Amino acid sequence: MNFRKVKIIYSKEMLEMLRDRRTLISTILIPIILFPLLMFGMGAVVVTMMRKTEAEATRVALIGEEHAPSFLSALLTGDDFQRLEVEDFELALKEKEIHAALEFPSDFEERLALGENSEAVIYYDGAEIRSTIAKEKLTGELKDYQDSLVAKRLKEREVDESLLHPIHIKSENLAPEEKMQGFMMGMFLPYVIVILAMVGAMYPAIDLTAGEKERGTLETILVTPVSRLDISAGKFFAVLTASLITVILSTASMSLTASMGFARMGELGSQQVSFAIKPLSVILLLLLMLPLAALFSSALLSIALFAKSYKEAQSYVSPLMFVVILPAMVTLIPGIELNWGLAFVPIVNVSLAAREVLVGTFHWAQIGLIFVSTFIYASFSIFVTKRLFEKEDVLFRT
Amino acid sequence: MDSVSIECRPGRVYGLLGLNGAGKTTLMRLLSTTLRPTSGTAQVGGFDILTEPEKVKEKIGFLSGDTGLYHRLTAEETVSYFGRLNGMERKALKERVDQMFDRFNMNDFRARRVGKLSTGMKQKISIARTFVNDPEVLILDEPTIGLDVVTSRGIIECIRESKQANKCILFSTHVMWEAQKLCDDIAIIHKGRILEVGTLEQLRAKTGLEDLDDIFVKIVGE
Repeated sequence: MNFRKVKIIYSKEMLEMLRDRRTLISTILIPIILFPLLMFGMGAVVVTMMRKTEAEATRVALIGEEHAPSFLSALLTGDDFQRLEVEDFELALKEKEIHAALEFPSDFEERLALGENSEAVIYYDGAEIRSTIAKEKLTGELKDYQDSLVAKRLKEREVDESLLHPIHIKSENLAPEEKMQGFMMGMFLPYVIVILAMVGAMYPAIDLTAGEKERGTLETILVTPVSRLDISAGKFFAVLTASLITVILSTASMSLTASMGFARMGELGSQQVSFAIKPLSVILLLLLMLPLAALFSSALLSIALFAKSYKEAQSYVSPLMFVVILPAMVTLIPGIELNWGLAFVPIVNVSLAAREVLVGTFHWAQIGLIFVSTFIYASFSIFVTKRLFEKEDVLFRT
Repeated sequence: MDSVSIECRPGRVYGLLGLNGAGKTTLMRLLSTTLRPTSGTAQVGGFDILTEPEKVKEKIGFLSGDTGLYHRLTAEETVSYFGRLNGMERKALKERVDQMFDRFNMNDFRARRVGKLSTGMKQKISIARTFVNDPEVLILDEPTIGLDVVTSRGIIECIRESKQANKCILFSTHVMWEAQKLCDDIAIIHKGRILEVGTLEQLRAKTGLEDLDDIFVKIVGE
């Protein structure tokens, strides 16, 4: 291999890449804006919807309302519930005029006053989220009322209320903070980054092979005194660079977005989470992505080199996305853990190891094995690419 | 190709005449080492195409209708790129590039992207690209195809100058008058075989015809 010539080819490919809008969008723009867009765009929509739902009063139809005056006077004092008079509550529920209906038997409070048991029926629509929330709210209110009755009855019988709760259940989360964030990040980050490593390499790989065939520039380079090995190496390193740029940008963008996003979730009342992944985790993550990006780059180059045109290459490469997305999805399945067998399965191994690394768990032997095995797959793939660059029927396929 | 044998000498233009699909491009690709022959070999610039393809490629300048240019590079970047791939040193390359941009009147679009240029301008860049390392052997596959009269004349002029500079030139065309004007030796190639080789005079004597058009049709038609 003539490194000087590889470098000349590499520099020229990089220059062309930087001048190609399609490559700039997929390699640089998408990884930067994807996460803020997902987190703040979708996040904002969800938060707004949730706030709106919370602020809005639950509309209830009451059946046998005169039989539960004391319960209802408590229920209707706040703004949480709004009473609606309807003729047919089933129809009103169907038409979303009301969120739920509450029915009391004629002797509801009478029997309760006598110390007996009674019942109340909530009618709701399980396929409607607002209706389900209304059911939960009404259930809560009824339980509170029930608790107050129980407390009153126990007091009358001079029994201590704590008799009902002999065990006081407490739970404490011992996970260190970084593990909590790592757990949330670990689910999505490897999945998204593995896919983006592929996306980032996709357009450059097509452009540098099938694109060159289409524009007739492949033959121009083949008649220069540069070996096929040097040509394929120059192109390979250029595509790998694009893939790694995507990986680095998306990791940075996602980390930043997440740190801001979690702060926002804190505002919503859930537990305040600050965000700080260990630097070692990030370094290991990038290190694990290196051979995987090399594998993607060479595989994409080989496939795209076979195509006659840009379009043909795109139609070959698109199905390949599924081959990457499916194994990357293992990180979203909570039960699957990294083991020695899975350490040999390409894509799955890196995705799972990335999840562990982000949680702060370092199984060094397995990480080493994954690095080496992925490196071997990548080497094999690079070898195939180099061989294809030597095949006339591939290069001059018309 | 079916056992073709040709011999081109320095200071001469060797013309390959043939219909579309006769095998002109294949023969030139074989000589430029982008294709490998299934049997047989050839020597180009003193090097064997099978055993020393890199050395062969250092000796040749190859131009064909299929050798496109990078649209996202400027005219100057394109020519320099090929000079560097040919192993030229930075200083020598700079001088050579300046010289060629002057020679072909390309300074107006020197810093413009190739993709934005006209066909004629692109062809000039292609020629500059082919000649940048001052190759000993020129393999030109229908270099004037699809070009206007002025640009074609420029290329013909270039070939003449190269001949005077004692270069060895292999030139394919199906424009008979170009061949008649330029070529010292003419080979008529048909269905992968060379049917006839000789100077124009020899071909005239052999067929008893005056015009290369008629000579060509007669030989191919036989």
